[in-house]
Amino acid sequence: MTAVAPKPMSRTAGLVRRHTLTVFAVLAFLYLFLPVALIIVFSFNATQGRFNFTWEGFTLEHWDSVFGSPFGGSAAPAVDALLVSLRLAFASSLAATTLGTLIALALVRYRFKGRDTTNIALFLPMATPEVVMGSSLLAMFLLLRLPLGFGSLFIAHVLFTISYVVVTVKARLQGYDRNLEEAAMDLYANEWQTFRKVTLPLIMPGVFAAFLLGFALSFDDFIISNFNAGPRTITFPLWVFGAAQRGIPPEINVLGSIIFFVTVVVMLVNVRLQARRSRTASASAEIDHVPVADQSEKVSQG
Amino acid sequence: MTATQLENSNTSTLRTAGKVSTIAGIVFFAAGFEIIPVSILRSPWDLLVPLILSGVGMTLLLATIERRSRVPYYLLIPGGIWLFAFFVVPMFRLINVSLQEGIFPNFEFAWAWDNYTKLFTDFLAQGRNSLLYALTATVVAILIAYPLAYFIAFRGGAYKNLLLVMLLMPFLMPFLLRTLSWKIILADNGIVVEVLKGLGLLADDGRLLATGVAVVAGIVYNFLPFMTLPIYVSLEKIDHSLLEAAADLYSSSVTAFRKVTFPLSLPGVVAGTLLTFIPAVGDYVNASLLGTPQQFMVGNVIQSRFLVVLDYPVAAALSFTLMLVIVLMLLPYIRATGTEELVA
Amino acid sequence: MTTGATSITDPTMTDVPAVQLKGVSKRFGDYTAVENVHLDIGENKFFALLGPSGCGKTTTLRMIAGFEEATEGVVMLHGEDMTGRKPYRRPVNTVFQSYALFPHLTVFENVAFGLRRTKIPDADIRSRVEQMLDLVQLGGRGAQMPRNLSGGQQQRVALARALINHPRVLLLDEPLGALDLKLRKEMQIELKRIQQEVGITFVHVTHDQEEAMTMADTIAVMHQGRIERMGSPTEIYEDPRTEFVAGFLGASNLMRVDVTDAAAGKVTLANGHELTVEPGSLTPGHSQVHLGVRPEKINLVGQGEPVSGNAIAGRVLDASFIGVSTHYLVETEAIDNLAVVVQNLDDRRFASGDSVLAVWQPQHAFVVE
Repeated sequence: MTAVAPKPMSRTAGLVRRHTLTVFAVLAFLYLFLPVALIIVFSFNATQGRFNFTWEGFTLEHWDSVFGSPFGGSAAPAVDALLVSLRLAFASSLAATTLGTLIALALVRYRFKGRDTTNIALFLPMATPEVVMGSSLLAMFLLLRLPLGFGSLFIAHVLFTISYVVVTVKARLQGYDRNLEEAAMDLYANEWQTFRKVTLPLIMPGVFAAFLLGFALSFDDFIISNFNAGPRTITFPLWVFGAAQRGIPPEINVLGSIIFFVTVVVMLVNVRLQARRSRTASASAEIDHVPVADQSEKVSQG
Repeated sequence: MTATQLENSNTSTLRTAGKVSTIAGIVFFAAGFEIIPVSILRSPWDLLVPLILSGVGMTLLLATIERRSRVPYYLLIPGGIWLFAFFVVPMFRLINVSLQEGIFPNFEFAWAWDNYTKLFTDFLAQGRNSLLYALTATVVAILIAYPLAYFIAFRGGAYKNLLLVMLLMPFLMPFLLRTLSWKIILADNGIVVEVLKGLGLLADDGRLLATGVAVVAGIVYNFLPFMTLPIYVSLEKIDHSLLEAAADLYSSSVTAFRKVTFPLSLPGVVAGTLLTFIPAVGDYVNASLLGTPQQFMVGNVIQSRFLVVLDYPVAAALSFTLMLVIVLMLLPYIRATGTEELVA
Repeated sequence: MTTGATSITDPTMTDVPAVQLKGVSKRFGDYTAVENVHLDIGENKFFALLGPSGCGKTTTLRMIAGFEEATEGVVMLHGEDMTGRKPYRRPVNTVFQSYALFPHLTVFENVAFGLRRTKIPDADIRSRVEQMLDLVQLGGRGAQMPRNLSGGQQQRVALARALINHPRVLLLDEPLGALDLKLRKEMQIELKRIQQEVGITFVHVTHDQEEAMTMADTIAVMHQGRIERMGSPTEIYEDPRTEFVAGFLGASNLMRVDVTDAAAGKVTLANGHELTVEPGSLTPGHSQVHLGVRPEKINLVGQGEPVSGNAIAGRVLDASFIGVSTHYLVETEAIDNLAVVVQNLDDRRFASGDSVLAVWQPQHAFVVE
């Protein structure tokens, strides 16, 4: 089969073709950032009404109010909810990361019967709609007459986080040399010492990433929390949802902007650290080996 | 009997005893949790019996395995128990509740199958909404995500990681606030509506909010990364020499794309579709914030039935049906790719 | 000397062997990786396990180290039964093919790892590590991270890390595989030197027959899970005894012959041409054997010239001048592609199509039954 030479194209057509995609991508990114930008912009909105949806003028009073006392200004209950969310996210992610890391270790390092079952059991929580998971947990809590509150939320959050932890840690585990643990045992470290001194330090970045992921998932969760929180425990998303009917003070925009900036900074720092780590790894310099002459010298001296 | 034969028969006795004990424990659990329609739970202490039974059973089973091979099971047990207790058991509990009838707080197990038929009689509109909106959103998401993923993969160059970070950054703003922001964007006197009216695409008294369009727009926006990332990953993986060969063979880059790039990226498209469509079907937040009861989806019904109307049996039936539909949709995918890929 | 499934003993061994494998087999489900291996390795020996990929040599090594348990048989180290003993309880250390250096520890900490598991005080550890680094010519690099070292340097760290613990046996799993040719040759000499200097037993697994022959005192050739031949490099090269070993160690030029007079060492080719082998190299009872001659043992002369020893007629198919020698492929009455290597001592060379006689002495041939 002979190759057909490409048909010559008019210059403008070629230019258009090449740049359409770029234009599209730019538009897409604008689309992605527009809602975020609006939230931040509207934190400066001098709104009079209860709902912060139309622009009425610029003001800094909401930012002032949030940083004044009580923290949050007229949105102080929102700050309480924020703290609840932070505590919940931290606790549940910690627990989920521990449980999930153990499972990931089992899956990657060992052969055992029941792999398929385990994989499916881990996959289902990720595939189950949040409505179903939330409602089924609620059904069980009701039966057990378990009081709904921080405890029930904790259980629910750990549950949906475990699978994601396993996926994250598993990816990291598969990347590194199997022999390392054997080498440690060869050098007289027993199983526990090997885990502590070799395995754990090496998977720590993956474990940490999993923890962050779990934290984010828990912090942002609405649907499952909606079902399992009970009347008195209010997380940040739950508060916002309730407020959406009642009237959202612009202080929420301020809080949202703060959350956004803090998480962006954390993420960028993390990315930076990753980049630096991989740069030094690939810069394994072309250091010359000791020439033969030196070696034979040593032999004759030794 | 030889030494090995003796050892083998000891092992198989242990194994049988272990299996019996564990199964007995599970049966009692099921009864205690009223999963099977036999209620023996008089007090939470009654759960101790199945706990001990299954605990003993599992210990016996572990004893039959050679010491070296036990380690993976030790690692799996804590997480496994959590998943079993809080995922599997509630799921079965859900089925039990779905077959009950009565008015809050007096429910009774009664093989009430008509709870399930309610989906087709009372909630057909919401079911239709769920499928329609999720499907539309998925298609729109593909249309936006594919070119975007293509751009990052093939034109990104040194900035690929930065672009990926930028793709994910908007999602660091809390979910609810992001969705509420769409209320601003699609507001009745906002720019978007004005432009559409000007272009004649929208009637003079039309609105976007409180219509299906707004709900779909919200769903698309919230699930875009779930669609973009898998497509990006599969595009990224394509061997560059294949692309060069295609450029050599085919006279136009469109043909090269159609014949080589696109087919190779299909696994990513499929994965993205599943990750988008399935959660979208069960979503209710977008409909709640951006729509009216006319746009309500199955998720909204479940939520209101459970938390407002307190009609647990019907809510549970709807919930379980949703789960079933989704599992059925996933079955061919699992059969095709096997279970190892599921957990990456 | 004996072959077969019963004891293959290192003939140079004295007293209690450093490593002993008795009837060791390893099965993974249906697949048998190692079958019925008997091995005695003496003290202070450089021992090589040689064979192609998949022959079971690495699995055997891993059973000595303790990373795998034998399905059958016993592994003994210095007379002690190691069955069921975890790697951290065995007095052996391993150098891995991938080096397996701990990426999160410095070179110093890598080398010190084994010592830190014992109660040796810090000051002693420091001096011993520094001494060891000097021994492998990495003095002063203690503070560096493994990823900043070249392949050859990493390999020496792995070696130091193992040797510092004074194991009585050092196991090496194809440690030179990742190095380039020049470096590999240097390291072969280096390893041999260290083994003699330190005076412990090295068990070296490799698929490179040249490497094994350069470094080892004794070589065991493995094939499909079994040891086919064991002996010194010279012995197994000149007297391979099986077809596989003959072919694995170099070109073997195996010819099928009928035995006409075993006692006198007379055999005949299919066309009736008689050849002589060393009397005593034919065991009675075999009527058909393979005769092998190594390429370097054959000389080529023109047809009609006077010869002594065995001579077969042939036609040169290919002649390649390599510099040191000329490699010929000759089509002969005995074998289609006789490989011949002749040192370029004089200008006398044959070209493609020439008629020649391939000549060798009876004592230079070996018999494979």
